[in-house]
Amino acid sequence: MTLNRPSGDTSHLYDGKTVRSSAPSRKKLAGQVGSGSGIPEDAIPTVEIPSFIESLLGGPLVPKMKFLPPDKMVQNLQIGVYGVLVALAFLTYIISPPQGTIWYIMTGSLGLANILQLTIIAGATILGFMGTFRRDARLSLGSNLLFILAILRFASSKTSLSNDLFNLQNSPTMLSVLVVVYAVLLIMYFELSNGVIRYSMLDTSIRTNEVYVMNPKKIVSKYHRSLIINPVLATLLAWFVLSANTILPAIVGVFSGDTANRMRESVELTSVYGVALGTLFVFITVGILFGLNLPTHLQRFRERQAE
Amino acid sequence: MWSRKSAMLGSLAVAMYLLGLTLRNTQLVTIAVVIFVFLTWAALLGNHADVASSGRRAEEWSGEEGVALGNVVAMRKLSSARMFEDGELNVTLRMQNTSSLPKILEVRDRVPEVMRIKEGANYILMELGPRRETFIEYTVECPLRGFYSLGPVTVRIQDAFGLFHKEKELHVYNDFLVFPKMEDLKETFVKSRVPKIFTGAVNIRQPGPGSEFYSLREYFEGDSFRAINWSAYARSGKLMVNERERDAVSDVIIIVDSRAVAETGPVSRNALVYSTRAAASLAKYFLGRRDSVGVIVYGDEVVSVDRDTGKKQLYVILTKLAGAVARGNIPLQVVVNRILPHINKGSPIIFLSNLEDDPTIVNALRDFRARNFDVTVLTPSSLEFEFDAKRIDRTGYEVMKTERDVLIGELRGLGVNIMDWEPDMLLSTALAGARGF
Repeated sequence: MTLNRPSGDTSHLYDGKTVRSSAPSRKKLAGQVGSGSGIPEDAIPTVEIPSFIESLLGGPLVPKMKFLPPDKMVQNLQIGVYGVLVALAFLTYIISPPQGTIWYIMTGSLGLANILQLTIIAGATILGFMGTFRRDARLSLGSNLLFILAILRFASSKTSLSNDLFNLQNSPTMLSVLVVVYAVLLIMYFELSNGVIRYSMLDTSIRTNEVYVMNPKKIVSKYHRSLIINPVLATLLAWFVLSANTILPAIVGVFSGDTANRMRESVELTSVYGVALGTLFVFITVGILFGLNLPTHLQRFRERQAE
Repeated sequence: MWSRKSAMLGSLAVAMYLLGLTLRNTQLVTIAVVIFVFLTWAALLGNHADVASSGRRAEEWSGEEGVALGNVVAMRKLSSARMFEDGELNVTLRMQNTSSLPKILEVRDRVPEVMRIKEGANYILMELGPRRETFIEYTVECPLRGFYSLGPVTVRIQDAFGLFHKEKELHVYNDFLVFPKMEDLKETFVKSRVPKIFTGAVNIRQPGPGSEFYSLREYFEGDSFRAINWSAYARSGKLMVNERERDAVSDVIIIVDSRAVAETGPVSRNALVYSTRAAASLAKYFLGRRDSVGVIVYGDEVVSVDRDTGKKQLYVILTKLAGAVARGNIPLQVVVNRILPHINKGSPIIFLSNLEDDPTIVNALRDFRARNFDVTVLTPSSLEFEFDAKRIDRTGYEVMKTERDVLIGELRGLGVNIMDWEPDMLLSTALAGARGF
């Protein structure tokens, strides 16, 4: 054996062999493991351009979320809405006679205005039922708007009834109570129908693990308590505000009986302007309390008491 | 703060009140007054719960009580400050109510958008008793590399009807790092032709004393008898000896294109994601082979990691790769001009780029080849990512694909080992393709 080639050159070993220098087929080489050839989830971004109203309000007016079947809490709220809705529809019919409605002004016909007013109230009720049952915020919002439309009357200083079943027309106090109860029912309807949507969202978020709720019973019980306490307190406070025409003369009466009598007999004080005056006094007081940062002081006081 | 609901109710009340006064309608004024009262009461009840809160970084916290500067305190602990892509991070958020009153809180721990909550929830509605604390645990999945920060923690208190709320951000932040994930490589087919005079055993493509089989050759006088391959002798009748690869340490340079154009495509599937993962995998492989590995990441600036060996170097490289952000448009020629004087002749160079929007690529790689560098180019195709995502039509795709193939062909003509790396292809397959196997 002799050394006939430089030791570093080993090309002779490849003689007769096929050496492939070009890249092999990419398709053949393509690995089977990977994310597949399907379109990845994040490949096509979802671009949601907000509508004009949405851009003004900073988001959608009504949620577009799809809910899971309602839980017991939502079902109870739905039943509550149905009850309030029936009462509200009845009271709306009672305290909004067709006289003075926009329909009456437009058509000049009491019968036609009555039919239209009833249609509006029936529409609001049906939409309210459907919105609550389907948990569709758009229908509930439509129902709210129709109820507001039904109560808008462009006439009369005093409350008048379309159907005086309980002979309340002759009692100004009972009429005021009726209107306050109506207003509280209206706001409770707004709240409860909104509560159905809010708690459906929350329930869905809990069940899809988006939100975790610790101690849900306490949170729900707080809401239930508020559903009772807030309307009662709102009624009492509203009653206080609306009674300004009796409270003011009573206060003035301490200093001057004659002036107090004149005030009691004053047409202005017993009219809508009396209510406005009462409102002004009460809300000026509330404004001052808020201006003095009463909520924070109240909080500190409660903290000290708790300690 | 007013919610949209309370604002709408307030507007309604104002409108009814004014209309009632104008029309002298007691009914409307009464309804408006009731709504006002309802809102005022809710504001008084809901808004009085003051969340005077303070946040402290978890590491600053010591002792059982924590730092109690306010009523609601948040602290956070992470299971790890560093992980790989697709890794999981366990987060423990500790919420304390130092007040003597119970609170119903909405707590949201802000998680980076690219993260996915795998277990638990970062949004909690809770009733926190007086002087109580609670632990919230959740797991996030980190699908993409990068530097991330968890926080702030947003705490909100609102009345039962959601009319008014008070919100506070607790500035509790925890930073963590997600390294690019790595593919296990068995073979890269990249070996230096030029040994580096360092100790350590690394293969270079040249026969010599070593441990790894290179080829068979005929027996020459002076060859060790231990090197004789007896099986080959039995087959051929000639004495054949095993030749082994020469062991040496080699330098490997990895260049990662991190220009703005590298991020073309979906967030989780683009050239930069592929390039960083490939660079991490290659660095791990070469460092495991005891090579010196240097990495250059260029985008709006040239960031380099000097060649070094060892596990520490791997983490230095991974950190740089994790922080690579698609920015700027520095041409490759600038990078080549800057690094050429500093790299050893013949070192393997691996270039990871989608080869787009840079007219200097051909000249820059020609400069490498002219100096006899072994250049491997893996080019994740942004075109494929875009086409898969249906962002370009068939005609546009075909035209650009042709242009790309021409460029790849030109580079191949310069002696560059290049592979058009398609999205579904494994790194090892792409490397094998680039090296002609």
